[in-house]
Amino acid sequence: MSRSAFKSGRTGRGAAFASDHSGSCHAHTMRLTAYALLPLGVLSIWFIVGAVGKSFDGVRADIGRPLPATVLIAFISVAVYHMRIGVESIIDDYVHDEGLKAISLAVNKWLSLAIGAVWALSLIIVAASR
Amino acid sequence: MAEADPCHDSLAAKRPLSPHVSVYKPMLTMMMSFAHRITGAGLYLGVIMFALFFAGLALGPDAFALVAWITNSLIGRVIVFLLSWALLHHLLGGVRHALWDRGLYMDPEGRELAARATLGGGLALTLLLWIGSTLAG
Repeated sequence: MSRSAFKSGRTGRGAAFASDHSGSCHAHTMRLTAYALLPLGVLSIWFIVGAVGKSFDGVRADIGRPLPATVLIAFISVAVYHMRIGVESIIDDYVHDEGLKAISLAVNKWLSLAIGAVWALSLIIVAASR
Repeated sequence: MAEADPCHDSLAAKRPLSPHVSVYKPMLTMMMSFAHRITGAGLYLGVIMFALFFAGLALGPDAFALVAWITNSLIGRVIVFLLSWALLHHLLGGVRHALWDRGLYMDPEGRELAARATLGGGLALTLLLWIGSTLAG
């Protein structure tokens, strides 16, 4: 089969047209994370733009303060889940090959976790060694 | 035909195709939908870039020298400027979706206004952010 059918998570005849009942949870999670990202995103971009043009010591002193470090860690904690399910939608829409879709979804899942881990751990180190 | 499989390949050509993007005349609301997705994907890349930036910051001056271009070079500043616009545009796009979830601004005039407000608001907030950040030092 060259063209893959919509993957519903069910098996059996006509399964491609059946809902797997996870759609509302996806939509609801997207909204809940978006609400949290409204204030966290505004504050985070303020702190990030504030690092522009600064030296190593300057950025460390700014970003390592309790509020910026906490906000940036809170931001990435919520953002990685928001962006993971966002990119899942993009993969579902545009990647039609079953094998490539499975690989893309796995890469997206682990990459988003890795981004969150590196981002948060780095900020903890910067804040702790300040 | 009682046992007909609706998923069978032989039926694929008979099923109607949903109208694709190229069928429609470009409209502002449609462009803003594209922009929401494109800025979202761009922010994914931006977040990877800043994960590397913070890693360099945590590892010390030698590692920071490898990522300092992000905040100190011209190309880096242009990328950070575009990222800040992408974040604010995507954020306002989210506000628009939250309004639509509540049934607000869904009529033709309302959604056109919401699209313009997202586009203009994103650009205005980006300029405000950079002016404010420059003034704050």
